[in-house]
Amino acid sequence: MTTTACFIIVSRNDIPIYEAEVGSAAKREDAAQLPQFILQAALDIVQDLAWTTSAMFLKAIDKFNDLVVSVYVTADRTRFMLLLDSRSDDGIKSFFQEVHELYIKSLLNPLYLPGSRITS
Amino acid sequence: MDPKVLKHYLLVHDNQDGDSEKATKILTEMRSTFGPNDCQLLCINFSQDGQTRHKDTPWSTFRSDALATEHLGRFLKLDDLNEIKNLMQELSSKHIIPYMEQKIRLLNQQVSSTRKGFRNQFKNLWWRKGKEDALDTTNGPVYTFSSIESQIRVLGDYAFMLRDYELAVSSYRLISTDYKLDKAWKRYAGVQEMIGLTYFMLDQSRKEAEYCMENAFNTYLKLGSAVQQNATRCGLWWIEMLKTRNQIKEAATVYFRICGEDLLHSAVMLEQASFCYLLSKPPMLHKYGFHLVLSGDHYKKCDQIKHAIRTYRNAVSVYRGTTWNLIKDRVHFHIGQWYASLGMYDVAVTHMLEILASSHQSKTSQELFLRDFLHIVQKTGKTFEVLKLQLPVINISSLKVIFEDHRTYASPAAASIKEGVWRSLEEDMIPSLFAKSNWLDVQSKLIPRKYKESNICVAGEAIIVDIEFKNPLQIPISILNVSLICELSANPEELNSEANSSNVEPQNDEYKTSTSTGDINSSLVLSEVDFSLEGGETILVQLTVTPRVEGILTIVGVKWKLSSSVVGLHNFESNSVNKRIAKGRRKPKHSPSADLKFIVIKSLPRLQGFIPSLPEKTYAGDLRHLVLELNNQSKFPVKNLKMKISNPRFLNAGNQSYLNVEFSACLEKKLNVEQSVGHANAKKMLQNVFHFPEDISVQEETSLSWPLWFHAAVPGNISLYITVYYEMENVSSIMKFRTLRMHYNLQVLPSLDVSFELSPCPSRLEEFLLRMDVVNKTSSECFQIHQLSSVGQQWDVSLLQPVDSILPSQSLFAGQVLSCFFMLKYHRKSSTSEDSNPLFLQSDVRLGPPGNSEALFDVCSSPLADFHDYERLYQGMSCQGNVDFVFITQLWRGNIDSGAPHRPLLFSHHVCHCSLSSFSPISWFVDGPRTIQHNFSASPCGVNLKMTINNSSDAASSVHVKTFDPPSSNSQSIDATASQSGLPLENQVGWFSIPAVNDTKVITTDALAKRITKSVSLESAPQFIWTGSSSTKLKLQPRATAEVPLQICVFAPGIYDLSNYALNWNLAPIEESQGEANKSSGECQGYPYYLTVVQST
Repeated sequence: MTTTACFIIVSRNDIPIYEAEVGSAAKREDAAQLPQFILQAALDIVQDLAWTTSAMFLKAIDKFNDLVVSVYVTADRTRFMLLLDSRSDDGIKSFFQEVHELYIKSLLNPLYLPGSRITS
Repeated sequence: MDPKVLKHYLLVHDNQDGDSEKATKILTEMRSTFGPNDCQLLCINFSQDGQTRHKDTPWSTFRSDALATEHLGRFLKLDDLNEIKNLMQELSSKHIIPYMEQKIRLLNQQVSSTRKGFRNQFKNLWWRKGKEDALDTTNGPVYTFSSIESQIRVLGDYAFMLRDYELAVSSYRLISTDYKLDKAWKRYAGVQEMIGLTYFMLDQSRKEAEYCMENAFNTYLKLGSAVQQNATRCGLWWIEMLKTRNQIKEAATVYFRICGEDLLHSAVMLEQASFCYLLSKPPMLHKYGFHLVLSGDHYKKCDQIKHAIRTYRNAVSVYRGTTWNLIKDRVHFHIGQWYASLGMYDVAVTHMLEILASSHQSKTSQELFLRDFLHIVQKTGKTFEVLKLQLPVINISSLKVIFEDHRTYASPAAASIKEGVWRSLEEDMIPSLFAKSNWLDVQSKLIPRKYKESNICVAGEAIIVDIEFKNPLQIPISILNVSLICELSANPEELNSEANSSNVEPQNDEYKTSTSTGDINSSLVLSEVDFSLEGGETILVQLTVTPRVEGILTIVGVKWKLSSSVVGLHNFESNSVNKRIAKGRRKPKHSPSADLKFIVIKSLPRLQGFIPSLPEKTYAGDLRHLVLELNNQSKFPVKNLKMKISNPRFLNAGNQSYLNVEFSACLEKKLNVEQSVGHANAKKMLQNVFHFPEDISVQEETSLSWPLWFHAAVPGNISLYITVYYEMENVSSIMKFRTLRMHYNLQVLPSLDVSFELSPCPSRLEEFLLRMDVVNKTSSECFQIHQLSSVGQQWDVSLLQPVDSILPSQSLFAGQVLSCFFMLKYHRKSSTSEDSNPLFLQSDVRLGPPGNSEALFDVCSSPLADFHDYERLYQGMSCQGNVDFVFITQLWRGNIDSGAPHRPLLFSHHVCHCSLSSFSPISWFVDGPRTIQHNFSASPCGVNLKMTINNSSDAASSVHVKTFDPPSSNSQSIDATASQSGLPLENQVGWFSIPAVNDTKVITTDALAKRITKSVSLESAPQFIWTGSSSTKLKLQPRATAEVPLQICVFAPGIYDLSNYALNWNLAPIEESQGEANKSSGECQGYPYYLTVVQST
């Protein structure tokens, strides 16, 4: 089983500002954009869930077949979405926290316009 | 199956087929066979002609898909229908329902006897346990009709049908546990399903109902594909339940779960799921789109392409406007592909266009997109004209239109210079007559007001449009036939008179397709450009359009061909005429439409000018002779030429007589120097406008050459702007004059760094020691030094030592430093001569090799003098008493820009205003014997000294020489110091360029002097006294010299420092000439002058 992971940062305007995809070996042509589709579709659920809880980490909120979507919502409603085919909440949570830190660092960059694409 | 089902026999007789007698006969037969109570006769179709029309088909309420065109029941009369209804009612009320009720009663009895009550339950348990071992198949035990489980199930079903839901539930529950225990999963699921439904009908505990449904559904799923249909049915029931309760979101998930392996089935279910998401509140659009895409994929897999396209098209509406580009591209790409597979290429192309410029995609997918796109376009078999083709991307903000009205440009670079630069340059050249009522005003009478704001261009002259094309992809693309789309129409005024002229292209109200404009129009000449763009490359393309006839020219847009079949169009403006383009969102707001509209006027002469040999890169100090060439290619002569150069320090117009003279010859010193010419020229230069002689006009198809002098004054990147103004002879009413603008950039590298330092010679009056430091700052060049000339007031420069001793090779190699000492002497006699200009007298020192017979260069005649003038201007304010130097070197290698290889390049370095003003205007010099032998035994020794005082200023001054003896005038000396330190403080502004330093210096020397005097006074008693007058006052005329006799008396042999005197001077103010500076005065301590007196024997 190939482990694939797709990570996307979605700005508050539902614009993806960072995309990364790892470990996808030999993708089929028809499933090329599947992770993007799944993550985008999960936005609906995030929208519902984000207001029901005060926690930033929303755990696994959606799943498609064996792929699980985990979401972390920052204070400015930027969403980190991770698509994984294995579930380990603790690992994902620490990953999200790390990403959050990095994201804040990039926000602090005076040349970065919030909501624009992150390029590195 | 229960063999004892209720039986009822019905004979249906169609009157169209035969008589009713036949029917009655059969009925009696039936009755005799089946019993009289169970048989009935139904006669239908009494209508004779079959033309009975019903308002609506009798079955329409039950069968929604019955088509009205089939004329169902044409032969049915109203009576027939009623009879049918009656029959059915009778059947159900008299037979079926009683039967069911009876059956329920029976079954209930049976069930309660076997299964109800504690005893039965206990028995049942025990019995089941025993049974467990025997049958353990996967499908559970086989239940016969008569088995008690089946009976219960039937009971439940009957009860359900008769809406006795409580009974139904209880019986279902009863057997569901049985089935579960028996592991009869399919039956168990069925019963669970029924329980769910019953709960739903009861509208009691929702949770229970849902739980049951889920249970049933899961059980079905567990059983695998064999019961797929059951699962689907169960799921659908469940969904319906959820939908009625407005739990649409949950319904969608159930739809999603129903999806099995059957593709079509899943596709339908997914589509339904997507609709559920859309309908849910709030609508979940992302999910909607996602499921539509999934469903579309499934449709595609089972070749239902039309369905697939339908779902994808719905999805497009979701994803339009989002920035999830990968998704959007995929959707468009697939739609495009599928349309293409259906043969609908036009639609396919529109979708493929959306993804053409997807820069975020990987290289392979970009290639795929482009290939597929071109493939599809080829299949259509025609060339497409795409209005908003995004490949390549046009950078609208880079759009730049260069046109020439009265302003013409020699080179594209000149055109790119800001208009303000030119305007300020041309300010005083364009006559004010024109400036006030310029051509715009003139033309406003001629041209309708509507076009007043538009630009003017001349027929036959090209309008250049620069525009940037960018390839957003990573793969190279080739672009062909890039050209402008233009429209040329006649002036509206002329339209009336010559509407049928062949030249005039009628401008219709509607926008015509681009092929008609431009190409077939002979009155326009359009340039076409082909190029190919590498991945990510940006190319600036220059397109031109040349109108041939007068009229109004509008540049509409640009078009290009992408790989021979796709024509891309891009309109620069949102044209109000064309609504189709008007929505183009990429149009910049800032470009006013006037920019692209031109009034073409009839052709005019146009000068072309260039300077052929202007170097691009040179060393500072480079002095050259250049030629400006002006070409007139039209038939009309131009006249009244004027020229202005932005940087006269670098470039100067020369005299026409120099045109064919050998370069260095005109620089060399001639005996009959016409200084007046150079001088007059220089004065003209200061105004920066050079008027060509009146008689010069550039005739048709001839060229005019004019000499120019070039001097690279300072290192750096220099922009030279040259404007040539000219007037046309047979003037059109609109334009009377034109200007030619030339622009050159040159890089001037540092070459020699020359600095001079002047220090007054202490022993001579009006003589200065001049130190020249030259550093060769180039990296490789070797300069040969040639000459040093001083310009300015009357100064003589002479070498202190022969050049050979300093610099044997006479050349400066890279990095070499040279220091040279010269003597600079004031040239007294010429100050009286009035006719010769004092500024342009020179004295030269030849520094070249001694054997060189080359003439010295004349720094006072035209080019050098002119440049020197500018240098003076730039290097600082002119002040009196300054010396300027020109240092000339030669570079024998003519390789800087491969000019003339054998002619030396001449470099002149001008250093101006080597100031003398830091010295006081009064200089003096004490002359007298240095060593005296005297016999002191006889008498004290008296020494006569002579002080020569020179006033180098232009003002008369009064000088007061005071001597004071060290011992007696101690207080006076302190006084003097006080006054001295006070006075300069007040007046130093005018006289000391470095006040602070000077101040301290004064104080220290003063202190020193005091100490000296003190030490003298303490250690050795007065050994000499000033005799004669202790104070002398005299008036000095400007630039005059006076002598003051001084005398001392020495009493003992020794060495004496005769510095204890002071000079007070006061400049008398000249009337209104130099304000403040004249009132100044100062006091100077005497120079040390050592006198040795020896006891003579």
